[in-house]
Amino acid sequence: MVAQVEDRRRLTARLSILQYVITVVFSILAVSFWVLQVVQHAKFEEMAENNHQRTLALRAPRGLVLDRTGKILVDNRGSYSISIVRERTKDLNRTIRLLSAVLGLDEAGVRSIVDRHRREPTYRPIMVVQDATLAQVAAVKARRLDFELPDIVVEQVPTRRYPETMAAHLFGYVGEVNDAQVSESDDLKSGDIVGQAGVEKVYNKLLMGADGAKKVVVNSVGREIRTLEEDEPTEGKRLQLTIDADVQKAVEDGFKAAGFNGASVVLDPGNGDVLAFTSVPAYDPNAFAAGIDRVTWASLNSDELKPLQDRAIQGRYSPGSTFKMAVALAALEEGIITPDFHAHCVGAATFYGRPFKCWKKGGHGSIDLRHAIEQSCDVYFYTVANLVGIDKINKWATALGLGVKSGIDLPNEVQGLVPSTEWKREKMHEKWYAGETISVGIGQGQVSVTPVSMAVYMATLANGGTRVTPHLLKAVDDGQGWKSVPPPPPQSKVDINPAKLQAIRDGLWSVVNGGGTGGRARIVGKDISGKTGTAQVISNTGRVAAARSNKDLRDNGWFVFFAPRDDPKIAGVVFLEHGIHGPNAAAVAHHILDTFFAKQDGRPLPPPPTHEQLRLDYKDPYARKPAAAETGGQN
Amino acid sequence: MFERRLYYHIDWALVVAVLALCALGVAMIYSTTTDPTRATSRLYITQLYAIVLGVGAMVFMLTLDYRTFTDKSHLIYLALLALLVYVMFFGTVQMGARRWIALKGFNLQPSEFAKVGVALVLAKYFGENRGDPAWTDLAIGGLLTAIPFGLIAKEPDLGTAVTLLPVFLAIAYLAGMRMRILGMLFLCLLLAAPVAWKFALKDYQKSRISTFLDPSQDAKGAGYQQIQARITVGSGGVSGKGFKQGTQGQLRFLPVAHNDFIFSVLAEEQGFAGVLVALGLYLFVILRALEAARLAKDRLGSHLVLGVLASFTFQVVYNITMSAGLAPVKGLTLPLMSYGGSSMIATLASFGLVLNVRMRRFTN
Repeated sequence: MVAQVEDRRRLTARLSILQYVITVVFSILAVSFWVLQVVQHAKFEEMAENNHQRTLALRAPRGLVLDRTGKILVDNRGSYSISIVRERTKDLNRTIRLLSAVLGLDEAGVRSIVDRHRREPTYRPIMVVQDATLAQVAAVKARRLDFELPDIVVEQVPTRRYPETMAAHLFGYVGEVNDAQVSESDDLKSGDIVGQAGVEKVYNKLLMGADGAKKVVVNSVGREIRTLEEDEPTEGKRLQLTIDADVQKAVEDGFKAAGFNGASVVLDPGNGDVLAFTSVPAYDPNAFAAGIDRVTWASLNSDELKPLQDRAIQGRYSPGSTFKMAVALAALEEGIITPDFHAHCVGAATFYGRPFKCWKKGGHGSIDLRHAIEQSCDVYFYTVANLVGIDKINKWATALGLGVKSGIDLPNEVQGLVPSTEWKREKMHEKWYAGETISVGIGQGQVSVTPVSMAVYMATLANGGTRVTPHLLKAVDDGQGWKSVPPPPPQSKVDINPAKLQAIRDGLWSVVNGGGTGGRARIVGKDISGKTGTAQVISNTGRVAAARSNKDLRDNGWFVFFAPRDDPKIAGVVFLEHGIHGPNAAAVAHHILDTFFAKQDGRPLPPPPTHEQLRLDYKDPYARKPAAAETGGQN
Repeated sequence: MFERRLYYHIDWALVVAVLALCALGVAMIYSTTTDPTRATSRLYITQLYAIVLGVGAMVFMLTLDYRTFTDKSHLIYLALLALLVYVMFFGTVQMGARRWIALKGFNLQPSEFAKVGVALVLAKYFGENRGDPAWTDLAIGGLLTAIPFGLIAKEPDLGTAVTLLPVFLAIAYLAGMRMRILGMLFLCLLLAAPVAWKFALKDYQKSRISTFLDPSQDAKGAGYQQIQARITVGSGGVSGKGFKQGTQGQLRFLPVAHNDFIFSVLAEEQGFAGVLVALGLYLFVILRALEAARLAKDRLGSHLVLGVLASFTFQVVYNITMSAGLAPVKGLTLPLMSYGGSSMIATLASFGLVLNVRMRRFTN
């Protein structure tokens, strides 16, 4: 009995111990939960939110670009981008390896993309493929559902779409913003798509919209369950350009048929509206829109024909005979000659002890200004240039827009050169020799011009002295309707005696409609006025030295024009690089002018010309022939 | 058999607390498994059936004197061993383990019942001997535990097998096993740990333990559940996110939320307040059962109560610790709340025994 009581007491004691132990254990549990749920609540709440909430960027589409008639020139298409969000990455190397394999990409390439963005916050997606194929999207999505690639996001993004190879240099292209641009601008962040050339770059601020964001709830395998809040993206502003899509197409078709490289700028001489603008060879801006690959980029850069160069505003070429109007105007306005001033051409003339040839072997005989322009008599302009002197030529050429920037709203325009005594003293620390002026008289020697400045030159001659600023922006639609943008003020304005100017215009009219070299551009009833130019790309002595190289040494062909003569509506330039003869350029210009006037008159637009219809002259006077004397061959 | 006066000695407070926990469990199962975007899940209905069956088992365990069960404990024990052996060869395989016997519409998990069986047989063995258990007693008790342990561990279901150990330890402790021996047992376990690590544990078990020590080393793998469990609990805050409003459980960041991690879901949706209620209920149930052990008419009753209570308490404490991400993830359910028919029936049956012992404290 005693043992039993003793036993009972010990049992009760041991049970009591258990009671205390259990109570303590539960107290510890309660405290643990208190720590987790109350003390550390904020931290875990944030982690839970990060778990199930994702903020997705909604890319704003860039604004559309329209032509002057409202036709869409540049729009957007939906494309898929594939990005890595390192925040969710467990093993970055594994992700890169697997993703490269799934997408069929070069692993080193993917790695270098990731490395470039390594210092950015981990929640920001690193875009690996910008314009993924549907197969790539499907492959990634399948893996994502398997939880194999939870750190990969596929986003639908609006991507720029350009019509096939039309006005590539004008539109420019878009690309991912670079570090320098990010640090310059407060509005840009890494990963943004911005204009990198052309209109896309100049008007990037207008074209770029504001990205939106979407906050979604995702489950443990990343599937979106519902949207919490959505901040719609704001589309970029729509731009209406001064470009006329039909004229632009005519320019492109003309170059395509001719098969030459070069540039063309067509303006409204009244206000500087750019109706058409091209540089050939071009590139495909679409290749940039989707993130250009290294191979394409490298080949564009190393191409000897320099497709990335915008010849219209960045190419500097000798104007050849097209320069003669500037010389003529200088002489007339400075009162040195009258339109009736005659020179006697015997096929060559001697100045300062050196012979200078006219392109016409037998010479033009006694010839006045109008006919000298029509016939492009070299001796006449040697003589006049010699009388005028380089500084007055410089003054008037500048007033007409040569040797200066046009001020067009495109990036990286370069300046041509019309020499002067001051220029030579400053740049070469030498005195200008009067003998050097002779070659300048026919647009050779030191003179160089850009095609766009030639268009301005013709517009200024057409409108009577107003050096209009070529511009591309006509109107902006910020979502509340179109607001037209006033044309920029002219760069300068000179008073030109109308009678004197008329003499030059008459000469230009005869070039096309008389017995001149521009007959190819003639359109009955439209009084096309223009001037061809055939400019050597190398001096005759240089030609001998370079004869054995592979360099293309064929002459450049120019045709500058305005029309109609008495009330010009269009002015411009066609420049054929190594186009051999100026008249070849006139043949291309004909299609442009024909299209312009057909549209103006409401006639059906002419079909694109065939190569044969242009009847190009391929006879190269210098082909494998020894050199002739200095200068010459100008028409 | 069931005299009317016994009815008045039923511990209704314990019954209410137990059923309250069951109700809490059903609510949480409903919350985590019914997803409007999918077909409606019937899991909570199944659980209700199990509770009904469990209550039936509880009533059955009440009707007979517990001594009837202990007297037949050797037969019950042998029958259970037979079932475990049967499972080994003919059980259905789910998630890589052979643990179940497929019945019509029901998968029976004999290992859940083994706990009760072992409690019965050990209570009988130690409860009827007076005085300190001798070495041989401990050895025999250990062997009685080790046989089902081995069979269950072989399934493999180490988690359930381990719950047999507290049964043996608790009964031996109550029987008067010297604390020195208890200490030596722990020492042996400690020494055996590295050996077990090397030979007995499977790779996934090792990785669970190593990630428990540093969950971030494998945040998306084995440490994932643990981190997610902590996030689930911590994000609940004081008052919780609301019924069916939890993101962690609802969006499946937390695996098997209706089962192993049901307490995490409770913590997320009902907050610290809900946790305190549930902890309070469990503590009340355990202390109340200990009370029954103290009040028991005989040694046998005390040992029996403590035997069934030991595995229950062990599982409750371990599961709750784990659901807060504070213990390595182990496939141990939370008795009374987790989804699972066999566990529910076996647990309610064992509480039937507890009630039984208390109810019959005045009978002879």
